[in-house]
Amino acid sequence: MSLVSLVKVRNNTTSLQQSIQDSLNLIQFRFDAKVNKIVIKPNLCYYWDSSTGETTDQKLVGALIDVIRENTSESVDISIVESDASAMRCKYAFRMLGYEKMADDKKVKLVNLTNDSIQNMNVAVHNRSFRLSLPRCIAEADLFINVPKMKYMAGTKFSGALKNIFGCNPYPKKYRYHKWLDEVIVGLNKIMKPDLCLMDGLVVRGTRPQKLGLLMAGADPVALDVSAARIVGINPRSIRHISLASTEGIGSLKYINVGEDLSKFAKLFPKKDAKYKTWGFIAKVYSRLVARFN
Amino acid sequence: MKEINLGLIGLGEMGKVHLRNCIHLKGARLIAASDVSAKSLRVAKSAGIKNLYSDYNELLDNPGIDAVIISLPTFLHAPVAIRAAECGKHIFVEKPLARHFNEGLSITSAAKRHGVKLMVGYPLRFMPQFAGLKKSLEAGILGDVQIAAASTISNGPFFHRTEYGTPRPVPSWWFDKTLTGGGALIDLGSHLVDILTWFFGDVATIRSQLGHRFNMDFEDYAVCVMGFKSGVVATLNVGWFAEYHRVQVDVYGTVFHAHTGSKSQTFIDHIMKLTSKRARNVSSGFYQELQYFVTCLSKDISPAPSGQQGLQNLRIIEDAYKNTL
Repeated sequence: MSLVSLVKVRNNTTSLQQSIQDSLNLIQFRFDAKVNKIVIKPNLCYYWDSSTGETTDQKLVGALIDVIRENTSESVDISIVESDASAMRCKYAFRMLGYEKMADDKKVKLVNLTNDSIQNMNVAVHNRSFRLSLPRCIAEADLFINVPKMKYMAGTKFSGALKNIFGCNPYPKKYRYHKWLDEVIVGLNKIMKPDLCLMDGLVVRGTRPQKLGLLMAGADPVALDVSAARIVGINPRSIRHISLASTEGIGSLKYINVGEDLSKFAKLFPKKDAKYKTWGFIAKVYSRLVARFN
Repeated sequence: MKEINLGLIGLGEMGKVHLRNCIHLKGARLIAASDVSAKSLRVAKSAGIKNLYSDYNELLDNPGIDAVIISLPTFLHAPVAIRAAECGKHIFVEKPLARHFNEGLSITSAAKRHGVKLMVGYPLRFMPQFAGLKKSLEAGILGDVQIAAASTISNGPFFHRTEYGTPRPVPSWWFDKTLTGGGALIDLGSHLVDILTWFFGDVATIRSQLGHRFNMDFEDYAVCVMGFKSGVVATLNVGWFAEYHRVQVDVYGTVFHAHTGSKSQTFIDHIMKLTSKRARNVSSGFYQELQYFVTCLSKDISPAPSGQQGLQNLRIIEDAYKNTL
């Protein structure tokens, strides 16, 4: 069974560093002092900033960089990676969401994976073969750290550690993969398996944003997502990419929570209740009708 | 009465709104459209527009066109509007008139020189709730107005969404200050400057505080304090930081105060819009402003907001950029 830690944090830099270190201690993660190239993958979603609960807070990534340097060396080569998407350009997202300034301050690189050289690979998932791309930056990394958000996501129900790796797909027109989204998420996780996942639950996005002040960590992305799905209020077995990832051997559905009590955060997460679902259905029908008649 | 033949230049987000509205205009018909995008031209073709051009010059050379609707990125307003004036076409141009005062002046001068009518698109004036407030102010129902507050907080260019709510690509020119003329203040502020000057007359002073939440070289939010010659003091708040769009104007008089905004539709309005295609279009400020433009052309009267008013609004916004707090 995989360890998944839950730590309550206050959103200030000193506290964030301490919370990250506490999280790593709880899951018994130790940095290899000889590590040289480190890649960090936050979740940048369009140009929404972290207050919306849609994107990883750059302050968390900044604090993580400080923790890495304390545990390895000051000269370690760190890159923050993201790729262009159908409606997002990294060069603007990095600047608008504060990553450009943070990277300047911390002397780390920002890498747009869309511009990186790639290695194409055939990956089999659920008896289906996909041709996916592995960016060189990630292939050459000694340590790959996934820093996803905890949020609802149309299409996959939930976005966490596994879904965040979909953003490592360098091809910008990602809607091309939406037909086989769950399979492609799992396929990408097969070729880009993170060594550590640190989930940003500082501000989460359910039916609305909510300051949860939660930091979750785990080496197993499947176990981390299963645990996070319980907080979000979705049965993890109903999230197809999680079940598929478990079947494909990426991780385990079984986990042990260490640190804070999960139910405390589950109570606070803004979930879809019956009233929300009813009004959501009416709004969806209305907007579809308006769009159709226009 | 002779029917006015219209040409539409630019089939981006606003261009498509105008395309839909033009179909329902009385006394005019849209006979031509131009855009560099073949996909957008296909949309126009499916709407029944026969003359389609990838080069706007070809549209302007069409002698059958009386007037053009210019719905292009701001940096293209001047070259296209000046060429349209030279071709003797009346002009309806989207706000803001231009990127800055001097560029706007070149457009108004060209229109004057060639004797064509020029109207700037400010749809708030044509929304019933704002037009109603204007009537109340003119009738003195609120008493003497002393303070007003106007806000437009929106998702701006960063959060373009499809009708289903999914994000869609932002045209890159929006990120270039040299092409837009500025940020939220010139984009959204020009609406509010226009509506406030329409309500309260000439501006005596304006001071602004500009904000850069998204670390770009243009402001993504701004607060301005405007002093009017009439004695009214107004605050103007604009922002590109929110997920949803809202326009709101509060007016405080010595007897009553009034509050109006873009979201004042009733349930009946929504039902009407769903059930009637015409109701959906004619109730919008975008439709009403075009219908008014066509009426002005038919009756040979000068439209308002005119090019001069668009120019005056640009001057006020330039002053706001200069006079920061």
